[in-house]
Amino acid sequence: MTFNNRELWLSFFAILLITLVYLFVVISTGSVPAAGEFFGHSLGIFGFTLMIMTEVLYTMRKRARSARWGRMSSWLKFHIFTGLVGPYMVLLHTSWKFNGLAGIVMLLTVLIVASGFIGRYIYTAIPRTADGVEVASSELEQQITKSEAELERWLSARAATASSLPKYLITTEEKERTQFFFIIGYVFLEWGQRIQWWQQKRRMDTAVRAQIAQLEKMIQQRRVLHRQVASLAMARRLLSLWHAVHIPIGVSLFTAAFVHIAAAIYYATLLH
Amino acid sequence: MESRRFGCLSMTGIISAALTLVMIVGITIVRGGVLFSPGTLSAQTGAETWGGVQSHAEIQGDCAACHVAPWSSETMKDRCTACHLDLKEQFQDPESLHSLLFIDNTLLTCIDCHPDHRGADASLTVLDANRFPHDSAGFSLNAHQKTSTGEFFVCSDCHETDITKFEANACERCHRDIDAVFTQVHIETFSHECLACHDGVDTYGSSFNHNAVVFPLEGKHAEATCSKCHLGASSLGELQSTPQECFACHQEEDKHNGEFGENCAVCHASSDWEEAIFDHTLSNFPLEGEHANIACEDCHKNAVYEGTLSACVDCHLEDDEHKGEFGTDCSQCHTTSNWEGAAYDHTLANFPLEGGHANVKCEECHINQVFQGISQECSDCHREPVYHAGSFSADCASCHTILAWIPAKYTEQHTFPMNHESDGNNSCQTCHVENLETYTCYECHEHTPSNVASEHREEGISDFEDCMECHADGREHDD
Repeated sequence: MTFNNRELWLSFFAILLITLVYLFVVISTGSVPAAGEFFGHSLGIFGFTLMIMTEVLYTMRKRARSARWGRMSSWLKFHIFTGLVGPYMVLLHTSWKFNGLAGIVMLLTVLIVASGFIGRYIYTAIPRTADGVEVASSELEQQITKSEAELERWLSARAATASSLPKYLITTEEKERTQFFFIIGYVFLEWGQRIQWWQQKRRMDTAVRAQIAQLEKMIQQRRVLHRQVASLAMARRLLSLWHAVHIPIGVSLFTAAFVHIAAAIYYATLLH
Repeated sequence: MESRRFGCLSMTGIISAALTLVMIVGITIVRGGVLFSPGTLSAQTGAETWGGVQSHAEIQGDCAACHVAPWSSETMKDRCTACHLDLKEQFQDPESLHSLLFIDNTLLTCIDCHPDHRGADASLTVLDANRFPHDSAGFSLNAHQKTSTGEFFVCSDCHETDITKFEANACERCHRDIDAVFTQVHIETFSHECLACHDGVDTYGSSFNHNAVVFPLEGKHAEATCSKCHLGASSLGELQSTPQECFACHQEEDKHNGEFGENCAVCHASSDWEEAIFDHTLSNFPLEGEHANIACEDCHKNAVYEGTLSACVDCHLEDDEHKGEFGTDCSQCHTTSNWEGAAYDHTLANFPLEGGHANVKCEECHINQVFQGISQECSDCHREPVYHAGSFSADCASCHTILAWIPAKYTEQHTFPMNHESDGNNSCQTCHVENLETYTCYECHEHTPSNVASEHREEGISDFEDCMECHADGREHDD
């Protein structure tokens, strides 16, 4: 399973652009835009609209189970983009005042974003197809067998090259770790492996380095599959637990936000 | 297998929504509308108690005390005046500040100037230059967004102690920073009472470009002070309605006393009055020759332009060297390009200039510029030559033609044959060498003195000095 962070970069640039516009307004008017004024209000409306989209569109796609509506992975990226940019606009809408219900809504927004980050982390620990369908354990076992056979063939064909590497890098044995560690600590483990491989490759010729890169990729694939098998049950349990926390926070957030909007319309927008 | 039901519609979702609503309603019941308050109300207190409280902070949570329902016919202003009875009184007077503000700005609300929910210590009066309808107070802030130091204006820049009172020298202090010389001149011209003329709608100063309006300041207009044209204008409308016709400002300067109408620009440019360019062909006296080079006032004395006499003599009477002898129409002989080189048609006189007369300068006959009464007798101009030895009358023409003195033709009785030894065209000098009184036959033919003497002595003639005595017909005598 491949994964890139394009949606995070897009979110970063969108946030940067919004920040620049916001700073321009602050400098040109000499004050922080109030929540009830045109710019501040616009930030709130657009930000909340994005948050609604974050919540509704991805959920709908998950339940549609139809490729006609695009890949799940694409919807997840859009979900992450709107889930970051929307709350940021809402944060600017507050004009840095967190009184009453508006403050509670902002707090819940921060919580839901933080929860989203955690959820994404756990979600990616469960192997899925591009359409978001979970891969079964038996299928994972088959993929491991296939991967190891392929690795074995490669090692026998290039025994000399393989012998130049430390044994611990190409061993098929994974250390015994808890499932929880596989989920929470796999990032650190992965980075440790990459550094070790990099140190080995920098000592080699360019021609050998290309072969070693191929080997590294195969071993990495085997490692991920082993980890996913080992942590699948725990990941599913954590994801279920996360849902139990994330959904109430989200529902509370939107409930409070709608009340806040109604109150703002009643007390401010329609004030005469 | 994931549930196909939306998370918000799950049991936990519904319970969460319900709990949230319960909490909001519960807090609202217990604490009033604090949850919906965007901030703490002001604790600022006044000298008097209004509506039973001394500060807005005392009604924190009682939203309905100030906020009205959207569907209510009551307004927030009604809620304000329900407590602030002094304001209610002010609104009865249409000339009061608050009345003026609301009359001019129908969308204005109390909170535009008196916002709350900004903290217990925050002021209840915020006259944001961008929001407060300062125009309604008699002075627009359109041109007063930033001070001379480039900072945004604050109320205290002009209202030092009391927001309702204008500090007298506020304008001068800032405008001296911008342009000290102009400000000094402006104050000396118009006094310190800036507000007597300015209502803030103008943008006088470096940013104002008069050339962008319908009357660009060109030439001398660019040097004029504003008051030259806009004297007494105290509003944008009055500035814009300043007359743009030349005569509106320059009538008193009109040297022509209105003779040329009211549009000075037909002849004058804005660069200088003196550089007037009048198309004289529009008059019945086009300026040609030297006339094109003279100053207007040479003909138009005392700046009188209409009815100027156009006969030559009207201007050139003193120039007339002929002392009126040739009448008043100089153009009969002279052109406009030069007095000299006049071409007089002498046939108009009784003495056509023919022959040798045609090349004679006028003054040779018309001595001392006397043209009339000149004698036409030849002898009045031509003295009889010594050669004539007084033998002829004054009638030169009896022998001479007008073409030349020579040849002349003698028509009277001549004792000696004129055709002696010739075809008759002998010159007088042939015989009359010295003058017409004397003659000589010597040096002609064979008549040398020695021959004549020898031949006559052979004949015994001793007296042979007077040839004509014996040879009157020019013939030789043998007897």
